[in-house]
Amino acid sequence: MGGGESMADETVNTNPEWEPKIIAFLCNWCSYAGADLAGTGRLQYPPYVRVIRVPCSGRINPIYIIKALADGADGVMVSGCHPGDCHYLSGNMYARRRFTVLKKLLTAAGIDPDRVHFTWVSASEGGRFADVVREVTEKVIKLGPNRTCEYTENVLGGNRI
Amino acid sequence: MSFEIQKEKIKQICRELLEKGEVDAIIGYTAGEIEGSRIPYIFSKPEEADKLEWDERCTPNLCTYLHGRTDKVGIVAKPCDTRGIVNYLVENQLEKDKVYIIGVDCAGMKDELGEPSPGCGECGIRQPPLYDTRVENPDVTNGKDAPSDAADPADLMEKLERFQNELKKCILCFSCRQACYGCYCQVCFMDRGVPNWQPAAPDLGAKMVYHLGRAMHLSGRCVECGACERTCASGVNIRYLIKEISDFIEKTYGYKTGLDAEGQPVMASYAFDDREIGFLGGDADE
Repeated sequence: MGGGESMADETVNTNPEWEPKIIAFLCNWCSYAGADLAGTGRLQYPPYVRVIRVPCSGRINPIYIIKALADGADGVMVSGCHPGDCHYLSGNMYARRRFTVLKKLLTAAGIDPDRVHFTWVSASEGGRFADVVREVTEKVIKLGPNRTCEYTENVLGGNRI
Repeated sequence: MSFEIQKEKIKQICRELLEKGEVDAIIGYTAGEIEGSRIPYIFSKPEEADKLEWDERCTPNLCTYLHGRTDKVGIVAKPCDTRGIVNYLVENQLEKDKVYIIGVDCAGMKDELGEPSPGCGECGIRQPPLYDTRVENPDVTNGKDAPSDAADPADLMEKLERFQNELKKCILCFSCRQACYGCYCQVCFMDRGVPNWQPAAPDLGAKMVYHLGRAMHLSGRCVECGACERTCASGVNIRYLIKEISDFIEKTYGYKTGLDAEGQPVMASYAFDDREIGFLGGDADE
């Protein structure tokens, strides 16, 4: 439980020309309520996440995550109910396999595994939500801007097309 | 010379099946216009059986032509074609009594230069896992697939460059999707207007969305027939990525595509003790 204590330095962006964009897909029943609880509990966490509410973590198409990265998001985090707690009984169980494979695929394609994060946050874990956001932000700030959708210097001299 | 012996056997089986009327048509190979090339052909008369070909150039995956057919068809199926048929059965895309599988042992196919066809060199499954009649080749035995080489550059940057070097050749013509046995969606996500997944410009981002999205759709479904790589006009090879996740799925969930017609699709099933590899606070990958 981090709460409103002073934030670690790593979660503060010091680059004036860049602000991290982190897309968070939160399930309606657990993680979104957990984020709400972090808000009503006045827990401070880094302000770089954009929350997208989805009905269930099993509703998240892997292409959402790929598309977010291709369109320039610096990080993606996905959170759902803990296994066994799914509102739809088994949605997060399917999601678990899907995300495990997706992360393997992205790593094999050379996308840094620290850009994509999966976790479980329940409706009562406001503190854990703040902690998770802090951890994800720290890792994304360390990586810097997402350049995976631009060719590297060795491939076509860094042009986009 | 066992190709010749196999060819005569396949011809005989096809002729008998068509004469007896056990099947309405047989999907097989015939000679193409270019010398030495072999193309898919649908045989519907017994006398056509003489045109049937079987040799080391019979590369196309015929399983693709089975999807959506309502008549009873026979099919000359290599092990990879057969795995595709098994996966159709697993995914309820086909009824078993609507297809007659002439399973043919395969010693590996070659391209026009005599090199092993994409996927054939490392393939370990040489005998069809499911068949109604099997045309044997005593020289071949089932072995183990050669492992994927996607992990070869250990460095993340080298992996990204390898991926981008493949993507820069791609012109988004979607031939790989058309040739793939597993890409049978009526409307592909790349063709959708709403929601529009494809970024407006055919740039690296669009290619990433397409190839990673397609790889994800083929996770646990790819039979490594190599059709995508063979058909590509620009020589793009994304199969190495799909192979990497196929190996990962085999290792983690103990599932290999297209071997068990009674099984469940791996990505449409779950276990309570599935490992959380790569999750925050989850298991580490070995």
